[in-house]
Amino acid sequence: MKIIAVYSIKGGVGKTTSAVNLAYLAASEGRRTLVWDLDPQGAASFYFRVKPKVKGGGKALLRGKRGPDESIKGTDFELLDLLPADFSYRNLDILLDGKHGATHRLKRLLQPMGREYDLLFLDCPPSISLMSENIFRAADALLVPVIPSTLSARTLTQLTDFLTESGGHAGLRLLPFCSMVDRSRALHADTIVRLGESCPSLLGAVIPLAPEVERMGLHRMPLPAYAPSSAVSAAYRELWRELKAALES
Amino acid sequence: MHDQATDLLLPEEADIASVADAIRAHVHCDEGRAGHSVTRYLDSFDWSLYLAGATLEDRLDERGRVLIWRVRDPNRVDAVQPIDADPGLIDSVPVGPVRERLAPPLGVRRLLPMAEVRTQSLMLRVLNDDEKTVARILVERHWLAQAPAGTDIPLLARLRLLPVRGYRQELDATAALLPQNLRLGPAQVSLFERALAAAGRAPGSYSSKLDYRLDPQQRADAATKEILLGLLETIAVNVDGAKANLDSEFLHDLRVATRRTRSALSQIKGVFPPDIVDDFKARFAWLQQVTGPLRDLDVYLLDYPRLRDSLPPRLGNDLEPLRDWLSAHYAEEQDKLAAALESSQFLGLLQDWRRFLTSPVPSETGLANAARPIKAVADRRIWRMFRRVRDEGRAITDASPAPEMHELRKSCKKLRYLMEFFQSLYAEKEVRGPIKQTKRLLDNLGAYQDLSVQAEHLRETAERMHAEGAADVGSLLAMGALIERMLDTRQQARQAFGRTFAEFDDDANGALFRQLFRATNAAAVAPAAGDGA
Repeated sequence: MKIIAVYSIKGGVGKTTSAVNLAYLAASEGRRTLVWDLDPQGAASFYFRVKPKVKGGGKALLRGKRGPDESIKGTDFELLDLLPADFSYRNLDILLDGKHGATHRLKRLLQPMGREYDLLFLDCPPSISLMSENIFRAADALLVPVIPSTLSARTLTQLTDFLTESGGHAGLRLLPFCSMVDRSRALHADTIVRLGESCPSLLGAVIPLAPEVERMGLHRMPLPAYAPSSAVSAAYRELWRELKAALES
Repeated sequence: MHDQATDLLLPEEADIASVADAIRAHVHCDEGRAGHSVTRYLDSFDWSLYLAGATLEDRLDERGRVLIWRVRDPNRVDAVQPIDADPGLIDSVPVGPVRERLAPPLGVRRLLPMAEVRTQSLMLRVLNDDEKTVARILVERHWLAQAPAGTDIPLLARLRLLPVRGYRQELDATAALLPQNLRLGPAQVSLFERALAAAGRAPGSYSSKLDYRLDPQQRADAATKEILLGLLETIAVNVDGAKANLDSEFLHDLRVATRRTRSALSQIKGVFPPDIVDDFKARFAWLQQVTGPLRDLDVYLLDYPRLRDSLPPRLGNDLEPLRDWLSAHYAEEQDKLAAALESSQFLGLLQDWRRFLTSPVPSETGLANAARPIKAVADRRIWRMFRRVRDEGRAITDASPAPEMHELRKSCKKLRYLMEFFQSLYAEKEVRGPIKQTKRLLDNLGAYQDLSVQAEHLRETAERMHAEGAADVGSLLAMGALIERMLDTRQQARQAFGRTFAEFDDDANGALFRQLFRATNAAAVAPAAGDGA
């Protein structure tokens, strides 16, 4: 099982929409796919029409009292399942803190899921914390949406610095891509060029800022499921193609 | 834990639209997605996927063409993968989740269509108050595709209730509502099984293994005919596959059955008139010989990836012309084989052989063993052959030349075949050990002999390629390195012979053979003439 964490220090950059749409594309190609909605806000759970509730909450999960498999829900789409959010996830850092092997806990927890799924997408909450370190240890790839603005690009630098300083993430692929891009803005176009120069692993796919994306909340389903021929769906398909190639290389 | 799907049969007259209306009257569903599909069930000729508990479907519908992999549960998808061409050998299947799962059980076998089903369907999603899918109901009508068009065989219509993970209660509630309102009956067999039955195929039915049930008191000539008739069936059932080259294993099984036939003819002595035995021995020798060259190429090509990988990467690349050369000669050899299997010589052989084997045994016979009980004949033949293998093996020293090893192998193979022909005459538990021990020795001798032949064959091939200008210096060097590897491995097999033979020749194994095959000889009828080893 390959684990892809859709992650950003910053909020509102398109993490959840990316996780949901990529997971849908993976499942529709026949991969047994699971999305874990780690964000207590539960946006991914909402998109899949699943109640943001986990039996026993985050505490029971992290302490191994209940396996993740007990709370997994099938979605509207074949081969695509969801481990829902839970409001208690807001305390995951507190639950992890002070525990032996605190930075490896998530990895251990996810290991048994490899028998049932080919791919796991982690829809991560925006922060840099003990939980983030767990995610970096567990994931094969860190997919980082970056809005091509100065502030957002700066968080990418912060993240690369953090990964370098904390060390031990040798096997982790850092895969940033440009998200919520407004082609009409010169600043976005310039920043994309500069990002490409400073970050060679920047993926080529560019996800445009588009009203269809906002309508995901009305349709409550992945965008390629209700607007397969839209430009955004095409952009996500390109992103998925690149991600697949990166995972297989 | 996953919930189980429920497979139900609809009344015969049911049509999909009215079934869907009846479902909606009781269950909250969406409008449904109508579809048509064509599903081909694929497996290797020897059912390797079925025997591994899996089914593979090649399905074409409005959304495209996919391979679907299921393990045990016919209603649960374990992997799906898009394809755009007929899958055959594993290399023809694109890299993906189905290929990953398919490769180990399929091995070098080719995927063949076992049955084709046309389906008209409606997939309904059972929804909760949030309009979220909590179960799926699939209503389907099926036909087994037949040639010519228009002669398809209808299969019973089905309703499948498919679980969505984490919605057990909703599934149970739906399951409780459906049968009582729709006059559904439980489906005892899956669509896969139903379709194969309608196509006249029994999954797992083919086996080239010998499985006779002989009566110890049966006349030896009648029992021998029974054994040979079983081998003839194996030859006959593989002819079409070998001619069309659907899979290299058809030819392989045909050749093994031919070899066993020849062995039975020469080893079960004094049961048939000598002129008949000599005639068929010669004709089956011809069959063995004309089927040999293509089998040699098959062995090379199947083994090629391993041979290449046994060399350092740079030399491995230089070996490619060898594969090209073998592939180029393949079609020519395949044509020759097909012609041989269509020749009057071959068809006449099958016909004459069947006529002989199915004709009644004579009530009066002057042949030494024909009317004796088969058990007495079997005991004597096996015991004698065991002693021959033992004596020949003991005579082999480190200085013994290769032909002596080859002779021992031939004797050992005869011993193995005899025990396999006759194993139903002995307690299964007791005869298993000696067969296993003999196979072990045979494996060692086989490795030695095959590598000798392969190395020699490769040298001849290199000469031919060189003469035809088909191999440059790099290729010749790579082939030379490969020959060296083969001879090294052969030497290892030679070194292991002493230990392997010692195990075969140890007191315990000897006692087992004696107890099984020698003890009854004292009580048997006096040794017959013409029964010499």
